[in-house]
Amino acid sequence: MSPDILDGSMDIWFGPQHVSAHGWATKLTLVGDYIVECDPNAGYFHRSAEKVLEFKNFRQGPLVLERMCMLEAFLAEYPYVAAVEKIAELEIPERAKVMRTIMMEMSRIHSIQFWWGQFNAELGFFTMALWPWVDREYSLDVFEELTGSRHTVSFSTPGGVKYDFTEKVMTQLNRAIDRFEDRLVKFKDMQLGSPTFRARTENIGLYDVKQGLKWGLSGPPIKACGVPMDLRKDDPDPNLAYDMVDFDVPITENPEHPGQSDAFDRMEQRFAEAETAVSIIKQLIPQIPEGDIVDPKARGKANRLPEGEAYARVEGTRGITSVWLKTEEKGQTAYRAKIRGPCIASYYALKDLVPGSKFADFIVIFGSLDPYPGWWDR
Amino acid sequence: MGFFSVLGDCFQILKHTFRQVFKRPFTYFYPFEDRIYPERTRGRHIHVRENCTACAQCVRICPVVAIRMDKEDKMYEKDCALYFDYTRCIFCGLCVQACRFEALFHTPVVDLSEGDRDDLIYGPDKIETLDRDPLKWRGRRFR
Amino acid sequence: MIGGVMLQFDFFAWLAGIPDWILGVLKWIYGIFSYVFHWIFNVFTWIWTTIFIPKNFMFLFRAVIFPGLIFVVMALIWAVWFTRKLWGRIQDRRGPLHMGKYGGLQLFADAIKLIGKETIIPDKAKRWMFRFLPGLLLVIVLLPFAFIPWDTVSAVDGGWAISDLNVSLVLAFAFLTAVPVIALLAGWVSGSKYTLIGGFRAANNQFAAEIPMIISTIGCAFLARSLSIFDISMAQSSLWFAILLPINLATFLVAAIASVGVFPFDAPVADSEIIFGWRTEYTGIYFTLTYFAEFAEQMLYSALIVALFLGGPNGLPFLPGPVNFIIKFLITFFFFVLVSSSFQRLRQDQIVYFCWKYLLPLAVLNVIVIMFAVVYLPGLMLPLLGVG
Repeated sequence: MSPDILDGSMDIWFGPQHVSAHGWATKLTLVGDYIVECDPNAGYFHRSAEKVLEFKNFRQGPLVLERMCMLEAFLAEYPYVAAVEKIAELEIPERAKVMRTIMMEMSRIHSIQFWWGQFNAELGFFTMALWPWVDREYSLDVFEELTGSRHTVSFSTPGGVKYDFTEKVMTQLNRAIDRFEDRLVKFKDMQLGSPTFRARTENIGLYDVKQGLKWGLSGPPIKACGVPMDLRKDDPDPNLAYDMVDFDVPITENPEHPGQSDAFDRMEQRFAEAETAVSIIKQLIPQIPEGDIVDPKARGKANRLPEGEAYARVEGTRGITSVWLKTEEKGQTAYRAKIRGPCIASYYALKDLVPGSKFADFIVIFGSLDPYPGWWDR
Repeated sequence: MGFFSVLGDCFQILKHTFRQVFKRPFTYFYPFEDRIYPERTRGRHIHVRENCTACAQCVRICPVVAIRMDKEDKMYEKDCALYFDYTRCIFCGLCVQACRFEALFHTPVVDLSEGDRDDLIYGPDKIETLDRDPLKWRGRRFR
Repeated sequence: MIGGVMLQFDFFAWLAGIPDWILGVLKWIYGIFSYVFHWIFNVFTWIWTTIFIPKNFMFLFRAVIFPGLIFVVMALIWAVWFTRKLWGRIQDRRGPLHMGKYGGLQLFADAIKLIGKETIIPDKAKRWMFRFLPGLLLVIVLLPFAFIPWDTVSAVDGGWAISDLNVSLVLAFAFLTAVPVIALLAGWVSGSKYTLIGGFRAANNQFAAEIPMIISTIGCAFLARSLSIFDISMAQSSLWFAILLPINLATFLVAAIASVGVFPFDAPVADSEIIFGWRTEYTGIYFTLTYFAEFAEQMLYSALIVALFLGGPNGLPFLPGPVNFIIKFLITFFFFVLVSSSFQRLRQDQIVYFCWKYLLPLAVLNVIVIMFAVVYLPGLMLPLLGVG
């Protein structure tokens, strides 16, 4: 950037008090209507979760993780639980595996529904912001019927799950899925068919696979480039039931710019993700085996863990979510826990992605990557 | 993407929104109407003193130190008084799972708001019963 | 009387004169008061008699109560309620519902709350301009309501339509052109970066939307052979111009939405990009005024659509003119809100692109087509227009 261009520049804090900046602040340098520099600042949402984990025992730990991102609580608490299970060498009952998988996919649907609303609100279209949130209510009803809480579910525990499926939960689950599938047609009309939406998102925030991998993106932002990079297929977790279902990794390939993705592709990718999640749940519901939901010895084993370290990861809604855990001999709490949220990559990707675009497009690029401040400030 | 197909897309969207105008809204009149909460709802607790053995498992497992117990305050043979601090409680449900004597339960009562902070610390008188003063607003009773 | 002089001053006569003197003073004071009183009384009598000359009384009634200020303000309050309720319905919720029946008094509650709030003026703001502009904005937006033809009979002949200028169409647009200038000024004097961007975006919106909007009205003016809004609406007694100029109706509606700066074209106040655009720094009563001005502008454009394209007060013959007008006004306003809650926000350069590349040619096209029809098919067209 030559200095003479920056002479007439204006610094704007897209800051902590901005209405659409909920817990983050980004410094933008504008020349005219164009952004020439973007400086993402993390730290406005810091809750020191990693330190808190060192003081919580292994049954309390998942509570901290699910508060990292309440929109995908089932997915967020899983890596910690899986890491504890790896260290303690716990066996998971078959029923618990399937139940976890179903609820994780349900959580993914819920998160995507919330993101649609949020993204459309950022695009100034509150009708489509509130329609997916109606379906989100049905997803939340499932969570509430199953666990008794809508957001902070506290479902997984080392060795299994806490709450069992009942008839009523299954009814709610089927209702939420069916209703969501019905409404998807309308959403596609309103979203992908909308000329204003195409105008706002096509060729906005364009990057290719190479850049995306350099920034460390994962999940939908990289799958939208046409790369089938998905932990559900690439590294299937033996404690989850993804081997019981038949699904393809959802990818989006745009013939206009192969190997690249813009904001529109990312929206299309979210539709594909939601449809895949629905099909996985539909295949898993008839296959739920009978049996225990939690290993009866797990409660004793998880009280004190042997010395060891474990790394567990899961394909979250926003990308790869992982936890690394180190314990000491007979440790009641973790010696050190490291959380790697997916959004730290997509937030700092803005630094290279945003310059050159218009000021009005900043929030579109930001929103299309689906960042959640809890994941980068930990 | 011709001009007329874009126009058609616009009218498709207008059709969807126009139809929505005449549908029944999804929301309800919250303070006056309330939905039925599921059985498992993790609302405020209820403490059954007859079954309590003062084993303090609930106090031990609580991740936010919201429970305090007073072993001097005995009503039955080996029970204790529990104080719940609902300014701290995160409704995780661990205390209810930790209780092996069926002495502590969640109830589907979730509207706990009070005018005073101190009212949110539920002493033994409040935590053992579900009765509470009804709240009235503009002549209509809710809660 | 040794060594003395006789007093020239007759004390007893003086004493006897005191009551007269007091009386005189009192009369003098009474005279002043009665003069003032009579003067005021005469003024009141004059006003009274002037008002109650039936013609004058009706003029005042029109200016203040029915199609004038109070009616417009009440309609404004209703429009805010209706918009919020309709947005709620479209978005699958109920809108305001607690204050009054169906939330009808919500706006009063909001206004009282907003007026009661602290008015914060930023340090970098130009204080007097900052205070002056919102009121000016509302006045300018409310003025063109004087030219709306509420009735088939003009005020001069005893009807309800207030003003019958022969250039009222031009004058209405002249007033409306000032609105984004005030927005730009307000953004400038607020002394904030976001308001500045918002102000320029408001000017940009008007730059984009004004020409298609005015071109859309040219067809009506041609067909009615007048620049008076009243004459244009009266020329539609046999046939609404919406039938001859359907594309112009659509382009006017869209350009009007763009000009007001509500939802699909709300780049000036885009809350997710620039916090509240040029209105960011306004609080309390000033915010209320700008908020009202936006709704007044929407109502004004709806009323202009009715007057220019939908026959104005002409309609069902057994209903009085204002009732016809208001029915059509409600339907137009409904569509105004419906269109404004169905699309994603456009970027400001896309607004210009859209208005100049699509709306302008379409508006011109319709005018040209109808002019050719008038010239080459006079046998078909002129009876429809009630000419010849």
